[in-house]
Amino acid sequence: MRDEERLDLELHRRLQEGDREAFDELYRRYSGAAFGLAYRITKQEALAQEVVHDAFLAAWRAPEAFDPARGTFRTFFLSLVHHRAVDTVRREERLRKRTERVANLEPERGEDVAEDVVESTYLVQRRKEVREALETLPPEQRKVLEMAYFGGYTQTRIAEELGIPVGTVKTRTLAAMRKLRRALSREDEAG
Amino acid sequence: MTLDHERILELLAGYAVRSLSGEDAAEADRLLSEHVPSCASCRESLADFQALSGELALAPPSRMPPDLLLPRLHRELEQRVVARRPRLFLVAAAAGVVAVLGMGALSVGLGIRASNGQAKTALFADALRTANRSDATKVPLISSTGSRGMTEVSAPGLEHVYLVGEAVPPPAPGMVYRVWFHSTEGWKWAGDFLPDPGITVLELAIPTRVDEIRITEEPEGARGNGPADTERWSATFLAA
Ligand SMILES: [Zn+2]
Repeated sequence: MRDEERLDLELHRRLQEGDREAFDELYRRYSGAAFGLAYRITKQEALAQEVVHDAFLAAWRAPEAFDPARGTFRTFFLSLVHHRAVDTVRREERLRKRTERVANLEPERGEDVAEDVVESTYLVQRRKEVREALETLPPEQRKVLEMAYFGGYTQTRIAEELGIPVGTVKTRTLAAMRKLRRALSREDEAG
Repeated sequence: MTLDHERILELLAGYAVRSLSGEDAAEADRLLSEHVPSCASCRESLADFQALSGELALAPPSRMPPDLLLPRLHRELEQRVVARRPRLFLVAAAAGVVAVLGMGALSVGLGIRASNGQAKTALFADALRTANRSDATKVPLISSTGSRGMTEVSAPGLEHVYLVGEAVPPPAPGMVYRVWFHSTEGWKWAGDFLPDPGITVLELAIPTRVDEIRITEEPEGARGNGPADTERWSATFLAA
């Protein structure tokens, strides 16, 4: 186990005891990643803030939702942020009947210069690996995965937007996940 | 092995990135409760996909949240000291209700009394009386939209809890707010409601060992076996 993961486990254990310093430390470690993700998905500061707020509060109120036997705290927590952001953007979409978000998937201008958060060396390295792994995907797989993950689209909706059968969306999603899994587990071993 | 594993893996991959809907989501739920727990290969794939979903979170650049967020969280952390105990109580009370009402009462739709019509004044008075008890606990439900306005009120010895909201925004036309309980038995529908213009009060009997109350916004009438992914408020309860 990495030192990073060991520290997260210790912080999580303290969280269960209601230790506020542990909460602050987890906030310091992951609020930048959480907000960056929530902002990419919701595209609005206010919504992103609510997502991150709710995720941290959920971790504080029900720390036992994380089961150390099933993965790392970091991936658990960022998945929680992802789910909440996707739910938020779907609700917003339904409320505002928003259209033409497909063109909007690309990172916004200036977004990349906003990397002003101090993060651990490991997180910075992992971020690089994840981006590189995404780059290795065939464009059609990457498109489907990014529409789902960062766009918050359902597979049905992706099929409509791209004019392809839902079955194709499913096979591309699985193919992309398999390829990423291979790429990242190799990186992980090397690192 | 007659199951088509490639198809199962497609569903698990879609599930991990939260992109399933309709029939696919229902089928994934079935798989997760029936097949996956007993299939080592599927369990491993699911764990991998979920971990991957957490890793993908790192692709966007990290971004500093507004300075006010941490102080705001700090204010709300205070409430857990109070909130921990009622959750324990709530679980204990739930067991009591089961004993009193018997298994027959565990069916869906049990005991939701909404604040519509004549009953409103009496119900609000009940809730207020409970809230004013010195041993009462008040837990704000976490809103997925940022709108405040739903608080759970409970007190020892009561067989129900109140959800009290002020200026709860109405759902979209044709939609209702739908209340769900989650326990080890899965999701159970508790009832639907529409908020009142001023104060909204709901009285909920807790059907069984509940670990989460979730309120979603869903189309009136059409109801699935579990909450739609349109969560508006929720409260997670700690296990005893
Ligand atoms: Zn299997």
